[in-house]
Amino acid sequence: MKRIDFIRNSVLISSGVLVAPSLIAQGERVNLKNRLTILHTNDTHSNIDPFPENHHKYPGKGGVARRYELIQQVRAEEENVLLLDAGDIFQGTPYFNKYGGILEMKLMTALGYDAATMGNHDFDGGMEGFVKARMSADFPFLCSNYEFKHTPIDGYTGDYTIIKKGNIKVGVFGVGIELKGLVPDNKFGESVYLDPIEIANDKALELRNQGCDLVICLSHLGYEYHKDKVSDRILARKTKNIHLIIGGHTHTFLDKPTEEKNLDDQTVLINQVGWAGINVGRVDFNFEKNVFVKNDVLIVE
Amino acid sequence: MHRTVLIIGAGLTACSSVNILSVKSESISVTDEFQKVSVVDSIVYPYRIALEEEMFEVIATTENNFTKSRPNGSLNNWAADAILNSVDKTTFGLTPYFCLLNLGGLRSPLNKGNIVLGDVYKLMPFDNEIVVVELPFSSLDKIAQYLTSSGGEPISNAVLDLNHIDLKRAVDDYSSFYVVTSDYLMNGGDNMGFFQENVGVIYTNILMRDAMISEAKKQGVLVFNNEKRIILE
Repeated sequence: MKRIDFIRNSVLISSGVLVAPSLIAQGERVNLKNRLTILHTNDTHSNIDPFPENHHKYPGKGGVARRYELIQQVRAEEENVLLLDAGDIFQGTPYFNKYGGILEMKLMTALGYDAATMGNHDFDGGMEGFVKARMSADFPFLCSNYEFKHTPIDGYTGDYTIIKKGNIKVGVFGVGIELKGLVPDNKFGESVYLDPIEIANDKALELRNQGCDLVICLSHLGYEYHKDKVSDRILARKTKNIHLIIGGHTHTFLDKPTEEKNLDDQTVLINQVGWAGINVGRVDFNFEKNVFVKNDVLIVE
Repeated sequence: MHRTVLIIGAGLTACSSVNILSVKSESISVTDEFQKVSVVDSIVYPYRIALEEEMFEVIATTENNFTKSRPNGSLNNWAADAILNSVDKTTFGLTPYFCLLNLGGLRSPLNKGNIVLGDVYKLMPFDNEIVVVELPFSSLDKIAQYLTSSGGEPISNAVLDLNHIDLKRAVDDYSSFYVVTSDYLMNGGDNMGFFQENVGVIYTNILMRDAMISEAKKQGVLVFNNEKRIILE
């Protein structure tokens, strides 16, 4: 795996703000304590073994054992690593049909996932099915815009979580897609769907007020649609206080995060890594204490 | 692949003493570069063994090769019949007129000899659900047109006879009728636009694959039917 080297041949895109060269140079001496590495997956869809060598599209790609090794290698190099998933863990191979998602949960726990959100397919075994599998997971499921009060899932998901990594305080919450029409009614029952934009704004503000340095939204809304249907790109534009949206649902392969401007005209990154565990996304944030207090200066390599 | 974005002091100072200085990302491909025996293998092993055993379970036999083809094929007929049979009239309170699937959705033939569970997973790897779609009678002509131009799709209990659909059951109501299909096609898959005109949809909660498995088990020896249901000329 390639080591990531920081800030080479930088091009300055600035909104009329001068940036001291020394500040840029500092990037090369980043203290590991001040770096947070986020590893993420989405739509793994019960793909536990790698695709067969004769697979028409992704021969020999993926596999949970290899993902584990990859993650372990990153953990060996970095001090602060977060591992997150944006939903649709279930459905796609006989492992799910036969074992109902228990194996997927055991493996994610073994890989050390810090948090996940629910995708529509995570309702495929019904709500009781999810809860049964959930018993084998020891990381939180963050579903901020599903109200599960009168359902069997009540108490098995959370609103958000705050994780302290080194010097960095990270807030994570999750938003899901409207289930009506996508999931048979009896599989989500009395769950109430809340507006993801409104909820995302509420949760992000709350996390910032609690002193989070970085706010991450796990989203199963989908990257982008032709119609006005709410997506990660729309969510990014219509909210504030979110730094990174880790998306899913549309199985979108992004080589690099998409940059959007939020309501405060600040940059929000959106990332998604296809499906089936073919790729793992890595986003490194470097932090520096009280260096510079100006809005939105971007240096894009 | 590699990209750096610097967000300097992105308005974080209000609630925090830490600023984000820069961001760097990559998408890492999960390949055999990372192959290594680990704790994961020992967790998966018992599940994999049991699953493989199950996938080799013989669920039926056949004296023929079932293959898909246009305009007609024995696999086309078997699959469409199996799906239609799985919609139980008493459960759903209606009798569907016919079943329409897509040839592209049948991914593998059923070969002469024993049929194991894994064969049906190869035939139908997708987790598509069976739906019953209520369509206005005017849609029939569009279905006929579609079948004519595609050159044929799996159909059961109806015949395309030179641009016209012959229904195999009596019509009770000339305003609408019920077709059994997959949620994939109903949602616009394979450009079957006529499903967008639906006046109602019933989700059966039955996966196509599960329906095929139960039908194969019920038949024991798969029922071979090579009749022509698509007549183009």
